[in-house]
Amino acid sequence: MEESGYFDFSPIVNNIHESLAASFSPGWAMAIAWALIGITLILFAALSVIILVYVERKVAAFFQVRLGPMRVGPWGLLQTVADFIKLLMKEHITSRNADKFLFNLAPFIIVTAAFLGLGAIPFALGLHIFDINIGLFYITAVSSVGVLGILLGGWAGNNKYSLIGALRSGAQIVSYELSITLSLLAVVVLAGSLQLSEIIASQENGWWIFKGHISAWIAFVIFMIAGTAETNRGPFDLAEAESELTAGFHTEYSGIKFAMFFLAEYLSLFIIASVGATVFFGGWLPFHIGTWQAFNHIMDYIPPIVWFFGKVAGIIGIIMWFKWTFPRLRIDQLLILEWKYLLPINLFNLILVSFIALMGWYF
Amino acid sequence: MGNEAIILFIILGLVLVGGAFAMSYLVSPKNVTPLKEETYECGIETMGSSWIQFKVGYYLFAMLFLIFDVETIFIVPWAVVMKKVGLVAFIEILIFFLILGLGLLYAWKKRALRWE
Amino acid sequence: MERILFYLIAAVIIVFSVLTVTSRRILRAAVYLLFVLMATAGFYFMLNYNFLGAVQLTVYSGGIVVLIVFAVLLTAHMDHKLDPPDRLKALAVGLLSLFGMGITLYALRSFPWAVTALPEGAYDIEAIGMRLLSYGDKGYVLPFEVISVLLLAAMVAAIIIAKKSTSND
Repeated sequence: MEESGYFDFSPIVNNIHESLAASFSPGWAMAIAWALIGITLILFAALSVIILVYVERKVAAFFQVRLGPMRVGPWGLLQTVADFIKLLMKEHITSRNADKFLFNLAPFIIVTAAFLGLGAIPFALGLHIFDINIGLFYITAVSSVGVLGILLGGWAGNNKYSLIGALRSGAQIVSYELSITLSLLAVVVLAGSLQLSEIIASQENGWWIFKGHISAWIAFVIFMIAGTAETNRGPFDLAEAESELTAGFHTEYSGIKFAMFFLAEYLSLFIIASVGATVFFGGWLPFHIGTWQAFNHIMDYIPPIVWFFGKVAGIIGIIMWFKWTFPRLRIDQLLILEWKYLLPINLFNLILVSFIALMGWYF
Repeated sequence: MGNEAIILFIILGLVLVGGAFAMSYLVSPKNVTPLKEETYECGIETMGSSWIQFKVGYYLFAMLFLIFDVETIFIVPWAVVMKKVGLVAFIEILIFFLILGLGLLYAWKKRALRWE
Repeated sequence: MERILFYLIAAVIIVFSVLTVTSRRILRAAVYLLFVLMATAGFYFMLNYNFLGAVQLTVYSGGIVVLIVFAVLLTAHMDHKLDPPDRLKALAVGLLSLFGMGITLYALRSFPWAVTALPEGAYDIEAIGMRLLSYGDKGYVLPFEVISVLLLAAMVAAIIIAKKSTSND
């Protein structure tokens, strides 16, 4: 990548590492670095979930011509904080008939899986905790473990609603996982790498959504549909269809345990959106138009981290928009959509994109 | 960071959930009554266990998922080198997809993709 | 550090493997198996076999265990705790396991292990892809294509079995 004027985090990160290495023994320096990264990541996760829940409620309210939360803090900004404190102070209730061990284990599995994915996301230039060489495949791999948390949590409660919800959820998530992986592979064919930093670097002269022609668009549309389904959000929220299944797989969970499922759900929404932003929209790269030097320079003034979060916010906005636009699907429609439409289209699209790559019909 | 970051993320997940549970345990009331321990279903007493036999459809889709999952594993390395290898890779994946497409077509014709 | 990690993961694998076979509740056994498989993936990541580690996570943790859970939900009495096995069976199985362990240990001890250094950085997935698609010497294109036939056979078999069981009831 050529020397660019982007705001680079790596000097700051290196500085911290060097000063730690200078003042402590290697073991302690590493421990402190880990603690720093850990605290930052946990705070970031908590903050992003709190903001996402607030935004979700506001978006839902505006779609229904309401005001949404307004009482706690200015414009209800502290509403989710208050909710969290309330959930924290709730009694731990476990059903008499439940399998208590699995019941308590499920939140651990689902949140850990979300954290494993969160760490591999490139937030900005130099702000990338874990740049593994199989980046994309790693993220899809660790997020595939999260479904077990849902299945076990739903089963352990010994509740009919939660078991039906968990089974639907499981069938849905594993089915749509295929579509997510295959649609991302369409871009991997063009980029020639799975490493997220290299995928971003390959978009220096234009995002794949523009460079990849029709096949990138097909892949992106499939990715959005499958991503919405993967995060169990409306119109694919039949696993927690309130009107029929109370709350789906987490019906039996209350208080802080419920909050953990909530956390994991919004974290996976964030992960899906940032993967989409990274693969299709160039991650933290600013928006450039061909040879418009002046325009490109103005765009460069906006720091990469703003670009990244802007793109993520855009994708999350579209996913939230989905929820209030389409009616909920039935389980049979859901599976037909995946296996009879998305999967064959995906396979066809992969052939199309490899043909495009073969002929060099991309920029 | 290298692969040791994975350990860090696992620790983070466990610490976050464990810490939240512990914190909640300190501040939450503990007043368990038999009624609270009831299964949360519909207000009347729960009839029987919900751990009963389920329909085979879920298993079938899990099986199909597994097969296509294995297929994806083989497509991933292909996708990375597709541009480098060129025509040969294109022809090879064409054959690969043709055979798998046959499988999907079989499932379709056998109505395995239908939810009954 | 690396040694501690190795023994930690090995301990996790051993403990949860034993728990998997001794657990009386079938779904808990599946969960213990999940931990065994994930710890195995940990070994692959430790060795920098990133691709293999991710494959282990996707196929085994996210695929096989999900399949097992669905299969358990298909059984009629999944809350039914398995009866403890009788003494004679337990003894026979224990002896058989010890015999198997002996053979494995003997094979491991007698194999001339060559000490190799870990390569710098992770194994390249590109190299895997190149090998998989090349038809020359040390190329694996035939297995690559045959795999699709195998998967086709598996799919047909799965559908036939599942369809038969639905038409019976």
